[in-house]
Amino acid sequence: MVLSIYNAASAADTIWVYLEHDSGVLEGVSLELLSKGRQLADQMGWKLAGVLLGEDIDELADTAKAFGADEIWLGMHPLLEPFTIKAYTKVLYEAVIQGKPSVLLIGATPNGRDLAGRLAVRLRTGLNADCTGLEIERESGVLVSEVSGFGGGVLALIEMGLHRPQMATVRPGVFEALQANNTRNGVVIEIPISLEYEEINTKVLEKVTGEGVDISQAQVLLAGGRGVEGDFGMLTELADLLPGAEVGATRPPVDEGFIERDRQVGQTGVVCSPRVAVCCGISGAFHFIVGVEKADIVIAVNSDPEAEIFQHADYCILGDVSEILPKITACLRTSMEAAGV
Amino acid sequence: MVETNHVQLDDELWERINALTDGAAAVCFQCGECTAVCPWGLVREGALNVRSMMRQAQLGIKSWEDDLWLCSSCAQCEAYCPRAVDIADVFRALRGISWQERTVEPGLPSMLWSMYWNENPWSQPPSQRFSWAKDLEVPIFDPQRHEAALYVGCTASYDRRVQRVAAALVRVLGSCGAKFGCLGDREPCCGEPVKSVGHNPYFEEVVHSSARVFREMGVQKLVTISPHCYDVFKNDYPEVLGGGFIETVHYTQYLSELIHHGQLDLTPGVLNGEIKEGIGKQLREMVEVTFQDPCYLGRSNGEYAAPRYVLGALPGMVLLEMEDKEVDGLCCGGGGGRMWLETPPGERFADLRVQQAADTGASILATACPFCLVCLEDSLKAAGDLDMRVLDVAEIVWKSMEDNFE
Repeated sequence: MVLSIYNAASAADTIWVYLEHDSGVLEGVSLELLSKGRQLADQMGWKLAGVLLGEDIDELADTAKAFGADEIWLGMHPLLEPFTIKAYTKVLYEAVIQGKPSVLLIGATPNGRDLAGRLAVRLRTGLNADCTGLEIERESGVLVSEVSGFGGGVLALIEMGLHRPQMATVRPGVFEALQANNTRNGVVIEIPISLEYEEINTKVLEKVTGEGVDISQAQVLLAGGRGVEGDFGMLTELADLLPGAEVGATRPPVDEGFIERDRQVGQTGVVCSPRVAVCCGISGAFHFIVGVEKADIVIAVNSDPEAEIFQHADYCILGDVSEILPKITACLRTSMEAAGV
Repeated sequence: MVETNHVQLDDELWERINALTDGAAAVCFQCGECTAVCPWGLVREGALNVRSMMRQAQLGIKSWEDDLWLCSSCAQCEAYCPRAVDIADVFRALRGISWQERTVEPGLPSMLWSMYWNENPWSQPPSQRFSWAKDLEVPIFDPQRHEAALYVGCTASYDRRVQRVAAALVRVLGSCGAKFGCLGDREPCCGEPVKSVGHNPYFEEVVHSSARVFREMGVQKLVTISPHCYDVFKNDYPEVLGGGFIETVHYTQYLSELIHHGQLDLTPGVLNGEIKEGIGKQLREMVEVTFQDPCYLGRSNGEYAAPRYVLGALPGMVLLEMEDKEVDGLCCGGGGGRMWLETPPGERFADLRVQQAADTGASILATACPFCLVCLEDSLKAAGDLDMRVLDVAEIVWKSMEDNFE
């Protein structure tokens, strides 16, 4: 087995979190990972560090401190804005070699996944990709990552005993971001950077943000079918209460013009893999099922007890969507108010 | 000033097309019959200009991208072509060029990846291929005992609606003691979806590996549920393998043989060869049915009689023909890889077909192809208030044997 550049014996007792940011704000997943990292570091008596790369981003260091970072490794350079894979890999690699963290956590975002894979190869270490849970074994300091496979049907716990850093990418929304504490203190460590344009081979000419929605990344999918009878308002109302929720649809309501085609789920639409999919008034034609069968949990609401969708659902609710859904929304709203959310 | 449209002839492209199509387009003399009969003309203002595509293929001018993926390879054009041009083949060859140039429609690469990883085009786990049979007594093919292997195919294996067709067929065959078995989860994909989207090199790979599985399992005869599988086994496998391939029939042909030889007895009151109490005692009420000719069974392979013979053998069954039938049978829109592409509302052939079927007054729209079944059922649901349902011939036979049309 190829050995990593540094091993467990020479690793520092620190957990690093790579902090992704956009338009001067830290990404939600970065805050979630800082919060989880803080908890793990406290448990182990280790330090928690955040890594910030970019240009003119020193103000973000304060946010990172407030969310629990003891150290902020700050790398600022004109060539680090915007994100390019080669520049970020190089700088982060050099920082890791310098700081030798035991654990390195990265959000499983499009850029995060890209960066983590490339960095892990360069560090000759392993990567626990797309994790849904993290723990550290108290005695050994080994990171145990939970990953799911086969549409959530199989859970695996994976760990790397010898290689450092123990890298993991974590899906957004898995952990909760704690409250910011502005009285917390932390030190800023500057990362020395030597970076030439020739090393990057990339020049970002234009950044275009698509206007359409992307429901493939939704954590909760509220899908409506013919049985919703065009009333997608009741689905949107529920979606507004649930973080990371998006509204989707089967083909007939899209055809009828009740909802835009970007939200069509299925073989000729979007294939989703949410943690929860709620299928409302959907009969369960195979070409739709293909779009939700990767969901961890499927909840179906349908008035027809023979509906095919019930064969694919973990929870089956028999009844009229237009009666049941508003009740669920009201119930959720009441309990959220009671909990002060 | 006179504005001119410059046309750039690309000799290299022309040579590629010529090689990929075996010169199929060269014989076209541009009469335009193909464009006139193409069903896209029924649903679109600007029809699919097949003649123009043939011209572009002859000259190596490439401006076909917009319409290239519309063709459902229904072969209506081929049926009327006075020069017998293999038009669908030319379309597939042009699609092959799109694969080389990476300009295929979104969604199709993931279908090919599913073929690669899952050995089916539906992104379903290979381990679940035989799950449809778990509550049934389905014999596993044994070359010593069985004359034929029932080739279920990917759609009937995984699509829960179409699984009911497989279940019905297995019951019908079991009831008359037909010597058949299924291939279980070893059943390979026939590769037709790959062929239909024009990726010929990969299709040939699939043919070789699937043929190897059939050989290993000692299969001497295949009975397919889908006309698409039937078509490639019958016509493409021998060509790709450079020699003969296992005898293949569509299940409607197999059933009509069994009926013809008296092995499958559809007399009311007889089930599993025994007289059944309570079944067929009353005179059977008339059931009116109309039949959708699957393109790959009819136009591509000339089989119009077998499914009609089977339906005609059922007591009380009355066949009412639609306006377009047999060689003019309207495509459901699901062939040529279009099951994996979206068709805008208002442009679905199946919508028209369902209306034609309703116009006959039949209570059942019958077909004998999984793709037709799925497309027609979708259109029937969308139509809303038609008093009709879509059933596969195999389902109708079993319902008739059980005397249960509820």
